[in-house]
Amino acid sequence: MNCNEVTDALIEKSASTPLSSQAEEHLRGCKHCQEFVRMLNEPVSLDSPSPAILGQIEQRIVADLRPVRPLLPARYFFAVMVGIFFSIVALVGYRMGAALSVGFMSPLQAGVILSALAAGAGSLAYSLVHQMVPGDRHRIPPALLAASIVISLAIAIVVMFQFQHERNFWGGSWTCLRAGLTIGVFAAVPFWLVLRRGAILTPPLTGAATGLLAGLVGTSVLEMHCPNLDAWHILVSHLGVAVLCSVAGLAAGLATGIMGRRLVHRK
Amino acid sequence: MPKRSFLDLDQWMERYQQADPEAPVALVAALSPALLRFFKGQVATREQADDLLQDTWLRIHRVRHTYRPGEPVLPWVYAIARRVRVDGYRRTRRITVHETAVEVLPERAAPVARNPLPSFATLVAVLPDAQREVVTMLKVGGLSLEEVARATSSTVGAVKQKAHRAYDRLRKLLQSSAGDGQGELNELQ
Repeated sequence: MNCNEVTDALIEKSASTPLSSQAEEHLRGCKHCQEFVRMLNEPVSLDSPSPAILGQIEQRIVADLRPVRPLLPARYFFAVMVGIFFSIVALVGYRMGAALSVGFMSPLQAGVILSALAAGAGSLAYSLVHQMVPGDRHRIPPALLAASIVISLAIAIVVMFQFQHERNFWGGSWTCLRAGLTIGVFAAVPFWLVLRRGAILTPPLTGAATGLLAGLVGTSVLEMHCPNLDAWHILVSHLGVAVLCSVAGLAAGLATGIMGRRLVHRK
Repeated sequence: MPKRSFLDLDQWMERYQQADPEAPVALVAALSPALLRFFKGQVATREQADDLLQDTWLRIHRVRHTYRPGEPVLPWVYAIARRVRVDGYRRTRRITVHETAVEVLPERAAPVARNPLPSFATLVAVLPDAQREVVTMLKVGGLSLEEVARATSSTVGAVKQKAHRAYDRLRKLLQSSAGDGQGELNELQ
């Protein structure tokens, strides 16, 4: 075992597991590692906060103390978020009334794109539910998840649909963008109502993820109802809805964060 | 900070949610020293660290319903403290941007007498923010790798990587301070 591997062992040891026998053996013969371990094992001096500060904190907390009910388990919120997503897709789809364009797609196209949308929405809902609780476990960092969902959907569209030349590309795109964005804004409201029950520590990140989820509602509705199967059109005006909603969510989150800091500062 | 002192935290948190007045007092007493150390590594003055500590407890109080009984308390507390620190840093930066520089700079403190082995606090001060945060949580806060990952909304792998880089840097600093007499450390003091 070398010094580098001993470093790894020492990091693992932080997780309250003892050092391996090989690491102990290396330590006995390596002066550098001995010094390093001695430095790490030195007790860190902790200055106690002044009694006046502690008293102030305790006083303010105790003065406002009342029982609170802990947040429900994550699975309930996850079910609610997924329920909202599919309910709005179904409701808006029903209201739009037109024949489903899924019939124009091949079974493979329909299967891949709708599965990708459902998987993306499910992963985002899962991530958002965990963002409601400080210090909750994240299997994938939230920022990375949102980016990977958009990239995966773009790849699925590029692979599954053909690029064509349209005469009135922007006219058709604008129609879909307008409809999709309206649906996205409408969908964001119930998601926000669920999320506000938790504690959002990073409003820009959560805002972007919520916007993306709401935008995916719009994208899903458009995918099922728009008969235009041009890859450019789907990328710009269907997936574009999700991206624009995510940007709007990010902006709303940034604004909320700035306002929150100003309020704290004034107090 | 010995891990065993945090054993009852989850029970105190549950009692805190049930409005037992002893619970916040016990929690504040148990967690504040480590939280203060966490803040002191990142801000310029003791007053700022005290302010951040107060802000943290007020925010903890506001969102205490988000703690789920049975879950580890430390990642929950440190995630909130971390956010308070970031907000405090942004607020301070906004204020200092508008401050006018004084014409005569205050005299720097005399260099500290050379120590054969620099302390953990001195060495950690040299690390970049992200690495310092991870090492402080691991060593001062007594969090496990998994708990640090939770507190930083990260993965255990990413935390291990940061800790490894930080430990490598600390090793080099320790060796250089033992050899040529605290070159990089003296520049910072």
